[in-house]
Amino acid sequence: MRTDLASLVVISSVFLMAACGDESITRARVPKSEEAPAVMGGMPQDEQAGHAAQATGLKWTLPSGWKETPGTGMRLATWTPPGGLKTEGTVVSLPGDSGGELANVNRWRGQIGLPPTDEAGMAAARTKVSSKAGPVSVYDLTSEGETKTRLIAAVVKTGETTWFFKLMGDAAATESARPGFLAIMKSLTP
Amino acid sequence: MRRNDPLSRIVDGLSSLKLTLVCLSLLMVLVVACTLAQVNLGIHLAVDRYIRSFLVWYVPEGTSLRIPVFPGGGLAGGLLLLNLVLAQFRRLELSWRKAGLWTVHIGLALLFVGEFATAVLQVESNMAIEEGQTKSFSEDYRRMEVVVTDATDKEFDEETAIPDSRLKAAREISDPALPFKLVVRAYHENAQLSMGGAPSGATAGVGAGMSVAPRHPVTADGEQNTAVALVEPVLKDGRSLGVYLLSNGLGAPQGFIHEGRSWKLALRLRQYRHPFSLTLKDFKHDRYPGTNIPKNFSSLVRLKDPAAGDDRDVLIYMNSPLRHGGLTFYQASFGKDDTLSVLQVVRNPAWTLPYVSCVLVALGLLWHFGLMLKKSLGARNS
Repeated sequence: MRTDLASLVVISSVFLMAACGDESITRARVPKSEEAPAVMGGMPQDEQAGHAAQATGLKWTLPSGWKETPGTGMRLATWTPPGGLKTEGTVVSLPGDSGGELANVNRWRGQIGLPPTDEAGMAAARTKVSSKAGPVSVYDLTSEGETKTRLIAAVVKTGETTWFFKLMGDAAATESARPGFLAIMKSLTP
Repeated sequence: MRRNDPLSRIVDGLSSLKLTLVCLSLLMVLVVACTLAQVNLGIHLAVDRYIRSFLVWYVPEGTSLRIPVFPGGGLAGGLLLLNLVLAQFRRLELSWRKAGLWTVHIGLALLFVGEFATAVLQVESNMAIEEGQTKSFSEDYRRMEVVVTDATDKEFDEETAIPDSRLKAAREISDPALPFKLVVRAYHENAQLSMGGAPSGATAGVGAGMSVAPRHPVTADGEQNTAVALVEPVLKDGRSLGVYLLSNGLGAPQGFIHEGRSWKLALRLRQYRHPFSLTLKDFKHDRYPGTNIPKNFSSLVRLKDPAAGDDRDVLIYMNSPLRHGGLTFYQASFGKDDTLSVLQVVRNPAWTLPYVSCVLVALGLLWHFGLMLKKSLGARNS
């Protein structure tokens, strides 16, 4: 009977193992060059929200030392301030209001780990810059924590298009680049 | 002298030929039922419900009631294995004369053990790879994972992957690699996402403006669930970083910056990373001349495994898989005007058992019939 019991134990163990499976959290270091797998669907993501970008309709002048490179995807352009600062500017334009200003402000807040705000909070945080393209709403956000990240976002609406400008990076670097970024906002022309 | 106590009667019953026939009949019924069930359930769920289970359950529509209606393959197969083992020890004498039958029985028992081991240990995934593309991971097309990526480094991403079973079971998930814990607000195996409508509960990322309508999971072959997870990264000081809606139906990961590090969150098909890479050099879809009838599918891949010192071309085609690193790569499908090849990737540590079993059964039969033949010839000569 010892053999019979052994058989039962083996079979039971196998089925018990089946109930467990491999459920551990795994970690991997993945080269950025490795192509991500194809994904289903195509719901909008971030400020590249499923609309065609409109590259025409607005011009600007870069301050001395700033460089501009063409963007990829929905991003129209990338700005790099002088001095090798760890901050970067981006330009995106989308048709319509892209979900409204509050949704976008909360999205920016979320990007640096800040909780959502409401209409009143948004209004209190907003500053205005004048340009030939119209008034530009500017939001200056800084993350919490020991290593702070700063995000300066600007929004201007021209006709049926909303333009989003963003400067984001290390808090100190973004502070250094802030005057240049605001100078670009003032230079906007239709 | 045969004993007649209850235990002996049980062992007699378990080792009887009647039980063998009953178990074989049950298995035949299960195979037919499982084959028919594949139409609605798909092959994997049908096999799980009919073959790889102790009991086949009936669940009335709209209830959580589970009624056992038939023995499952696990029960019938387990009983058959027990029956085989008991019969062997009770009926077969340990002698050279019966060595062939012993070998046949051991071979059959190994076949059952192999199936149990396969049910437990086998992992199937797919590697969809385009011509010129290099991949070192495959994807489980039936399971999901939430991946938290530290994308700060310019060269590498540090990925922490949480399997869907953990998301279903746990309220909070912590890991030493993460400076925050993930609070799982909800997990839906399948759901429909839409813009507007009832708020999903997400407060950050693209999901803040979306609604989620849970759906019954799909299991049929070729169908894909849109899984949805509502997760909230919470810092050690209790501060929330917002509730994110993650789904494999969303096009790209969402994220935030915390303490100067860039974090991305995504839900995707579960990935298995391999310590080697495959580059698809060429995919061929041969047809019979003058027709569209497929003649052959083949993938010419470059296998690179620095640790094993392997760097060679391998041609994978029907019935000629690549075996490397404990994995088997079969030619499974193709797409994109014959520029994309889909390889089925199978990890099954027990894959050799059926072969060993067949060899044992063949040797046992040869031995046994050889002995019978010798005996018969001897009797005729005398």
